[in-house]
Amino acid sequence: MSNYTIRKATLEDISFLSDAIIAAEKSNTDKLSLSTLFNLSELEVQELIKSMLDEEIDGCEFSVNSFLVVELDRTLVAAVGGWIENLVDKNPSKILKSNLIGFTFPKSSIEYLQANAEVIKEIQIEREIFTLQIEYVFVDENHRGNKLAEKLIKQHIQNALSTFPELKKVQVHVFSNNQAAIKLYERIGFHVAKTYTSNHPRILNFLPFNEKLLMEINI
Amino acid sequence: MEKNEIKDRIRNILIAVLKHDNFVIDDSLTAKDVEGWDSLSHMIIITEIEKSFEIRFKLKELNKMNNMGDLVELVQTKIEQK
Repeated sequence: MSNYTIRKATLEDISFLSDAIIAAEKSNTDKLSLSTLFNLSELEVQELIKSMLDEEIDGCEFSVNSFLVVELDRTLVAAVGGWIENLVDKNPSKILKSNLIGFTFPKSSIEYLQANAEVIKEIQIEREIFTLQIEYVFVDENHRGNKLAEKLIKQHIQNALSTFPELKKVQVHVFSNNQAAIKLYERIGFHVAKTYTSNHPRILNFLPFNEKLLMEINI
Repeated sequence: MEKNEIKDRIRNILIAVLKHDNFVIDDSLTAKDVEGWDSLSHMIIITEIEKSFEIRFKLKELNKMNNMGDLVELVQTKIEQK
């Protein structure tokens, strides 16, 4: 791994994490759902993600504490988010995430979402309680081929097992046209548990693809 | 405002957003008990409640709410504080 080091993310990494989240959300397309669903520019979304991370809410995808990052010569090159669903807080991550977005995004954006919410309903995936959720897997393109994503995910699993030895399952969501990500997850041991498809005619106006996979590892 | 009136208004908001009435507004009701109350609906429901009662929740208040009882209590407190 040469001089790559894995560590927990801190508040000082917020800019990098925001860029990583945006890249991961796009899933190798040019569609940023946080932009399309809320009628915001990518720049606006970037700032809003930083604001959400800055709130330091634990237990969801917009938590600094959820992220492990890889550093090389003091430059961040990879990040993966992970948390055990509902372990500490009584609120599931979907509520924490919604509260963060609802609180941080402009009201006009929430109203825009309201008008279009039914387009993406079929493709919403419920997160299973007490499972390790892996989200926002990002590796800088100049550092691919070094198994950084794999190492980060395995570190998340190791960390989760040490705080919660009863952990039975790891889950990740991926758009089914993201073959590179699917191959990575299969190499680590994930299998497809369920497929979520949307036939809404306007789905591709908002999301990178119309089909999402729920992939799992049973521990 | 009385809690029953608050509950009635919240019930109407839930029906409008979720497009069904397969739930009972009791204090123990949570999002996972109600079909369709996902992350998208939650954002919209909270925004509609804020608009309807002309209040604004703080983030920590939103995250402290665990069930309908907590929500109704908080709405009542915020109305009184106006």
